[in-house]
Amino acid sequence: MAPNPSRKRQSRRGAAQSGMSLSMENGIHYHLPETVSEAVGLLARHGAAARALAGGTDLVPALKLGILGARHLVSLRRVPGLRDIALDGDRDVVIGALATLRAVATSPLVEHACAALAEAAGRTGSPLLRNRGTLGGNVCLDTRCWYFNQSEAWRASRDRCQKAGGARCHVNERENRCVALFSADTPAALMVAGARVELAGPSGMRWIGIEALYSGEGRAPLALAPGEIVTRIRIPKPLAGWRTAYVKHAVRESIDFPILGVAAGVELAPDGTIHAARVAVTGARSAPVRLPEVENAVGGRRLADVGDGDLARIATRALGPLFLSDAVPHKRLLAGLMTVDALARAAGEDSGRRRS
Amino acid sequence: MKRLIQLTVNGQAHDLVVTPVGTLLDVLRDDLGLTGAKRGCDLGACGACTVILDGRPVNSCLTLAVEADGSDVATIEGVAAPGRLHPVQEAFAVHGAVQCGFCTPGMVLVTKSLLDECPEPEDRQIREALSGNLCRCTGYVKVLDAVRAAARRLRAREGVR
Repeated sequence: MAPNPSRKRQSRRGAAQSGMSLSMENGIHYHLPETVSEAVGLLARHGAAARALAGGTDLVPALKLGILGARHLVSLRRVPGLRDIALDGDRDVVIGALATLRAVATSPLVEHACAALAEAAGRTGSPLLRNRGTLGGNVCLDTRCWYFNQSEAWRASRDRCQKAGGARCHVNERENRCVALFSADTPAALMVAGARVELAGPSGMRWIGIEALYSGEGRAPLALAPGEIVTRIRIPKPLAGWRTAYVKHAVRESIDFPILGVAAGVELAPDGTIHAARVAVTGARSAPVRLPEVENAVGGRRLADVGDGDLARIATRALGPLFLSDAVPHKRLLAGLMTVDALARAAGEDSGRRRS
Repeated sequence: MKRLIQLTVNGQAHDLVVTPVGTLLDVLRDDLGLTGAKRGCDLGACGACTVILDGRPVNSCLTLAVEADGSDVATIEGVAAPGRLHPVQEAFAVHGAVQCGFCTPGMVLVTKSLLDECPEPEDRQIREALSGNLCRCTGYVKVLDAVRAAARRLRAREGVR
């Protein structure tokens, strides 16, 4: 049984002292493995009932709201080496999944390899959250929805939604398909960087491109095999002339998930011609997404030769239908403007433009 | 299943029995009687529960106590000797940066942590450091005044030594 938040008001101590019911407290098991193989063994053994625990800044609220859907927490904090940020030879930057967002945001290695990643990490949550929250946790952030990330009492007022195991989606009623939003900041930057992630599972290690990590499904946003966890993230050495930027718009700049986040990377010739570009958006769908239409539109041209208005329209069109926004037309407009801003900042042509 | 953990809180070691889902905030307030860290939103958005965990300010409401095993915790109760005020606390009082006081312990700890690391912060850095701590009474102007004053005061004190 999930917790009933109203009990917290009735009793200051006892069962509800942490905002969780007794049944919840008794039902949760905590595991503290010392190696990756021990961790993935535990995760595989308990299957859907287990969840890996990194910084906990997303997991603990889910636990308190009774939406975690797991009874076994497998802490990764004792597993050695997962906090390191290091150069692999003189080439790629390899970041352990448990490196804090603060460590990523302030790392000179990350700044040099992908400025957009340092920026996205530095704009995730608040400084307090970044001191606990990790890059791996952010990359594996669960999708969110108005009808899901709510207290038990709130959710009890209607049918369980699909993400909570029910039959209906209360947002996308027409298609009846869960459209919970993926709202982590760093994956957009990682897509632009061409990052790869190391997955450890019961059958060993494998590396995949960051884009392959995401299923696109609101219900289960990560395309992980049973027992698999993200252990490391690799940022390839940037090409000469490669520059990146991340632009974020949130209700409260200081703390919120993005309404939209746009990362852009451009390979710039000395005369300002963009040889190649990458653009990725977070906060729009159930996964972070690349916008190839925009990338193709700027490739081989100078940004000034592509009209801002045209570019914004291409970005808006590329985004497709949007859900879970107070004002969908506004968000569509925003996506266009932010794409232009992100590309302009990456290309160093942002003077006189918004800095958000 | 309950677990035994060890925490050093304000310099004093404690052995504690905790449940897997108990937070550091629960342990501080309910087991150790240290009620300076407040339960505000309980979801990591307000910063009222801020404590310094192994040298860095964090939301204690989002930190599972089992995850803090072996850590060093500093709370508002430990920033000054009993009956005395830390220069940051004094600056908050003098500059009227306290109204209801609910956010104040968190703000003081974040400020102390900022000034320990960066004795001469620019306004931009002060705003950034405090951006995870919400105040619903005074607004933030007097808080900024207090942080600037505390920085001056601490620098002057360092200079005297």
